[in-house]
Amino acid sequence: MGYAQLVIGPAGSGKSTYCSSLHRHCEAAGRSLHIVNLDPAAEQFDYPVAMDIRELICLDDVMEELGMGPNGALMYCMEELEDNLDDWLTDELDNYLDDDYLVFDCPGQIELFSHVPVLRNFVEHLKSKNFNVCVVYLLDSQFITDVTKFISGCMASLSAMVQFELPHINILSKMDLVTNKRDIEDFLNPQGQVLLSELNQLMAPQFLKLNKALIELIDQYSMVSFVPLDLRKESSIRYILSQIDNCIQYGEDADVKVKDFGPEDIDD
Amino acid sequence: MDIDSKLDKFDVKSGVEGSSSMQVDSKGTAEEKDELADSMNKLNVEASSSGQVGPSFRRKPVIIIVVGMAGSGKTTFLHRLVCHTQASRIRGYVLNLDPAVMTLPYGANIDIRDTVKYKEVMKQFNLGPNGGIMTSLNLFATKFDEVIQVIEKRADQLDYVLVDTPGQIEIFTWSASGAIITEAFASTFPTVVAYVVDTPRSSSPVTFMSNMLYACSILYKTRLPLVLAFNKTDVAQHQFALEWMEDFEAFQAAMRSDDSYMSTFAQSLSLALDEFYKNLRSVGVSAVSGAGMDTFFKAIEASAEEYMETYKADLDKRWAEKQRLEEERRKHNMEKLRKDMEKSGGQSVVLSTGLKDKAQNSNMVDEDDEEEIEDDDFETFTEEDVIDEDEDEDEEVGRFSS
Repeated sequence: MGYAQLVIGPAGSGKSTYCSSLHRHCEAAGRSLHIVNLDPAAEQFDYPVAMDIRELICLDDVMEELGMGPNGALMYCMEELEDNLDDWLTDELDNYLDDDYLVFDCPGQIELFSHVPVLRNFVEHLKSKNFNVCVVYLLDSQFITDVTKFISGCMASLSAMVQFELPHINILSKMDLVTNKRDIEDFLNPQGQVLLSELNQLMAPQFLKLNKALIELIDQYSMVSFVPLDLRKESSIRYILSQIDNCIQYGEDADVKVKDFGPEDIDD
Repeated sequence: MDIDSKLDKFDVKSGVEGSSSMQVDSKGTAEEKDELADSMNKLNVEASSSGQVGPSFRRKPVIIIVVGMAGSGKTTFLHRLVCHTQASRIRGYVLNLDPAVMTLPYGANIDIRDTVKYKEVMKQFNLGPNGGIMTSLNLFATKFDEVIQVIEKRADQLDYVLVDTPGQIEIFTWSASGAIITEAFASTFPTVVAYVVDTPRSSSPVTFMSNMLYACSILYKTRLPLVLAFNKTDVAQHQFALEWMEDFEAFQAAMRSDDSYMSTFAQSLSLALDEFYKNLRSVGVSAVSGAGMDTFFKAIEASAEEYMETYKADLDKRWAEKQRLEEERRKHNMEKLRKDMEKSGGQSVVLSTGLKDKAQNSNMVDEDDEEEIEDDDFETFTEEDVIDEDEDEDEEVGRFSS
């Protein structure tokens, strides 16, 4: 049984930063955590990379050899990954099968998780390897400034949710950069009626019904809710990690490991 | 323009009132001074606000921002649009915002690649391809007012401005620079967003729905009219999509065949989206064969109409709000001015020169305007005006305070 987080979100939402702070946090807390890079275009990391898609394929090579633009090359890389699920990925995963916790840092292209089935197949493969997977969707909190943008963010996250059909956690990143915390607060605990009235003011009259339908959807199902993340605060990271652990049932059937006692105990 | 001329008349009259009281009552009491200052106040405010009425807004050209997922065929679609405009003698202007594209099949009038070298940005700032595109776009957004000016200059000769966006959709929809560019367009010209959908890929109901959700997300983010363009109809017909959009039961049936535990949730989602489709124009186009271009332009026309009706009204409202704040600031300044004038002794002669100087200093009234008004004072000053004065003033005060 293994555990995995799939970190997705638009470009620039802070996925890699999230991964590195998570790694630091877990290191301090004495938890083992491995970060896997799935972005063939990434070049620098401030965390140790356990697995790297660039060992399989590198974006620059594809761009040069096939004469593709960055977009097409990325698609090509991901399709290559899909083709190699059984070979490369399985080989790599064999090193991490026993109660390990993997974090997948995905490239920041929305197309990958709402348009093409690459990541979906990837997740299926992980599940078949007995991994509990949770999707972590990061969204830049600075763009959630008014209610229409909040709805827009909800829709974007829903579109990923529908694709993956996995436990799903939405995170508002970069909370430390938000100056007016109160504006965001309204969206963390959305009140259907309040949102609706604000929405009706902002949108053209022909959207009244759509506003109502969307708010009802968000309100009744409470499918989309956001957890704020302030990377400066340890407590905030701990809270998010505990939410995710809860989702994937991490540690519920864990055994005591030798390394939990530290190296000096092994000598005994 | 009726309103404007009316405003001018009022200005003149209040000006007349001001000067007349100045001439007639040489020994003005404090009360009259107040009145005088007030009327001057109005004169200033009115004159300057009648100088510029609303933002400079034109009906033409219509801006078409083409967005879509990577690989949905935005650039090819745009190429087809350009060909179509040239063939049917529609005057188009093409803007490329994708810094990473290697070769453009069409000739762009304004190309971001002339301004920003994407490879250089990547090297200099040590960024990956994604960050490189983002930074290039940010850099370009700082100069975007110049682009708007260029288009404004040529506005009379253009019907459409076609805008190609970077291949990754979120770089345009979820970035500050994208928002700046969209809003800069939308505040100057009627703007329509064309969302290009990859039809063959959307044939699975789940992908279709996530696509539609994303379109919905764009609609709420930009608050602009949205046109769905089902691209690549030469490969797969878009009839199935239209059917799903019109009849959600058909869509649910398709959903059911796709066995997944999310289907109940998907069903309620499809109910919500049903409302979304009602406000949406969708056309099937083929960038390769060129089918559906006429319908596409018809949809764009209709959306531009819708823009003028709704978005423009909203824009005007915001403009009025800004205008109101500005006015308040001005009033506040004039209040200060009045107090200063009271301090400077009760001589009406001093007052009149003070008025003129101050008005000029404060730069609120153009010199021309002021002269015009003064000329009018002497030419149009008749007894009738004097009689009507009070009435007019009341009216004006009433209108002004409302």
